[in-house]
Amino acid sequence: MSSGKKMWSAALLATAVLAVTAACGSGGGAGETADGKIKLRFSYWGSDARQKMTEEAIKKFEAKNPTIDVEGEFSDWASYYETLSTKVAGSDAPDVMSLEIRGLREYADRGTLADLASKVNTADVDAKVLGTGAIDGKQFAIPTGVNAFSLLVNKGLVEQSKAALPDDKTWTWEDYVELAGKISAGSGGKVTGTQLSWNPAYLQIYATQKGEPFYDGNKLGMTPETIKEWWAIMQNLIKGKGAPEAAKSSEIGATSIDQSLLGTNTGAMGMWWSNQLGAASKASGQELDLLRMPKIKGATAGGMFLQPAMFYGASSKTEHAAEAAKFIDFMINDPEAGAIILSDRGLPASSKVLTAVRDKLPEADQKTLAFLDENKGELTDPPAAPPKGASAMEDILTRYSEEVMFGRLTPDDAAQKFITEANASIAG
Amino acid sequence: MTEVSVAVKPGRAVQEPARRGRTRSTKRSRREARAAYLFLAPWFVGLLVITIGPIFASLYLSFTDYSLLEEAKWIGFDNYVKMFTEDPRFVASLKVTTIYVIVSVPLQLAFALALALVLDRGLRGLPLYRSIFYLPSLLGGSVAIAILWRKVFGAEGLVNSVLAVFGIQGQGWVGHPDYALGTLILLHVWTFGAPMIIFLAGLRQIPSSYYEAAAVDGAGLLRQFKSITLPLLTPIIFFNLVLELIKSFQSFTQSFIVSGGKGGPADSTLFYTLYLYLQGFKNYDMGYAAAMAWVLLLIIAGLTGVNFLASKYWVFYGDTK
Repeated sequence: MSSGKKMWSAALLATAVLAVTAACGSGGGAGETADGKIKLRFSYWGSDARQKMTEEAIKKFEAKNPTIDVEGEFSDWASYYETLSTKVAGSDAPDVMSLEIRGLREYADRGTLADLASKVNTADVDAKVLGTGAIDGKQFAIPTGVNAFSLLVNKGLVEQSKAALPDDKTWTWEDYVELAGKISAGSGGKVTGTQLSWNPAYLQIYATQKGEPFYDGNKLGMTPETIKEWWAIMQNLIKGKGAPEAAKSSEIGATSIDQSLLGTNTGAMGMWWSNQLGAASKASGQELDLLRMPKIKGATAGGMFLQPAMFYGASSKTEHAAEAAKFIDFMINDPEAGAIILSDRGLPASSKVLTAVRDKLPEADQKTLAFLDENKGELTDPPAAPPKGASAMEDILTRYSEEVMFGRLTPDDAAQKFITEANASIAG
Repeated sequence: MTEVSVAVKPGRAVQEPARRGRTRSTKRSRREARAAYLFLAPWFVGLLVITIGPIFASLYLSFTDYSLLEEAKWIGFDNYVKMFTEDPRFVASLKVTTIYVIVSVPLQLAFALALALVLDRGLRGLPLYRSIFYLPSLLGGSVAIAILWRKVFGAEGLVNSVLAVFGIQGQGWVGHPDYALGTLILLHVWTFGAPMIIFLAGLRQIPSSYYEAAAVDGAGLLRQFKSITLPLLTPIIFFNLVLELIKSFQSFTQSFIVSGGKGGPADSTLFYTLYLYLQGFKNYDMGYAAAMAWVLLLIIAGLTGVNFLASKYWVFYGDTK
């Protein structure tokens, strides 16, 4: 009988061990830590450098608020939303979450986010920029910093190719296409003028120059003509050898900025968000600058706009709403946090923080700041958060643009199909 | 895996008393059986909670509108109807995947068999060659190889550099909608190692006396291959075919990495599973993704069933006439 008893206890032990490990697995919900501190979970994405900065800022916050323990939940960008949406689905949403503008409505419209109005001090944030985080009058998210979609250029390579940069205050799309072609020809094939971009922000700028909005409520506000004209710019670039042929273009389009033509010094221009100037400069090792986007001849608006690089939002289900707001307030408004994060989440949205850290910014960001200051009068108001379903917009636009570049669809067909599919995606 | 090994011991403990149980006390055997089930419990719990539960949950979700962020709403067969009536991308992804499977599986198996035959000729250093050829199978589905593929078949890649030597102006293979899928098929064929190892084992099973007898009768190599090797190898071919068919229908990583997660250019590498993933995680339509998963399950089950039925006509098991 003793062997039977032994077996029983062994079996019970095994079950107990399993139960304990299972309990460990499901631990980490909202609540308090062992030493009675309030535990706050904060999710964000990005590079290792960003993780280090963020951890440093969190330590500073904890030093100021000894009763709160902030736990950063970090992932890379590619898997960020997957992780976040899975956590929300499992009723395990982080108390504070980072979002970007395309994901904002996906989360806000589904009741995931709490209204932060009057909980976080936003007095120093530009009202229009702040407005991008508000939906139906509720401040679901606070912008961390701003960016503008602009043209990046390697002036050295342009000069080497014996081409001259026109004045970017007056230049037209025709000038841009011509310049790109000249660079390719002048460099003897070593440098390509520019690379294609299918970023919806680019199309948005073009549409604004035509006086059309990108989104009109829950559908696209552009006419098919605008989209076709926009494609024609890219077709002309390829035709004039100012950009690589379609197959190579789509290959480059799928890589990151480090592998871009500009980043590898095999191209002289390209379009990105202004906060990527630093990354592009680092990859290229040469001096890069920002230019205004070209304009349609006779256009009254330049169409460039400021867009928040990122937002902080608080979960609507959090048990520690006050602490979550406090942490967001610290990240947005505290100059000490600003001094650590600098321009990593866009040029600080709070004017107070921006003034405080201005001189500490890396060279590329000082350049961006000067560029944005100089452009301030020409910028269009920041657009409201795009409708739910807009996360897919870049993919849809890229797909139909490629169909046109490869000649598999006529621009007429592609424009129609693009509008139909995009409208279906954002219909709600 | 560990649960399984734990489960083996009580299994033996149960069998022993079961043999003697009829003559000795059944009380003891019952108690031991209970202990055995207790030991097995962790594994059963795992099976229920981690495998069977989610499978049925996904069946339920496939009939709902589920964004992950909100509660699932029951919508009946809407997801399934939408798939076949108003989603051209679904049809496109099915087409891409079917071409991929139909072309790459036979090619890969033919390649694997050919190499197995060469290696079976009793090469010196066989273990070394075997390991080298097996290597791609271990790496093929990995991110690093998918990235390497971009470098090899890119506009400035290795392939075009070689072509340039012969004065041929190549183009960006992974970036062109007409060729991108071709490069993924090559990637799949390249991972022939796993079926090759199985073929090698199968070849070793064929008694050499058959070949000796055939040689005495004056049969050439080709004749020997056709009349001895191939028929006796059909069970192995069948096994590999079923396995590779299932595996290649579920391919994901290659297209995910090579196309930058989009299935591009112009949807030419939009694998079924990639589209499923995009619907679930990028378009916040997990209900639709779940429905797609069940359709894929039915497709694979159907094909495997057809395969087994057809096997009666061409697979030769030595013991049956």
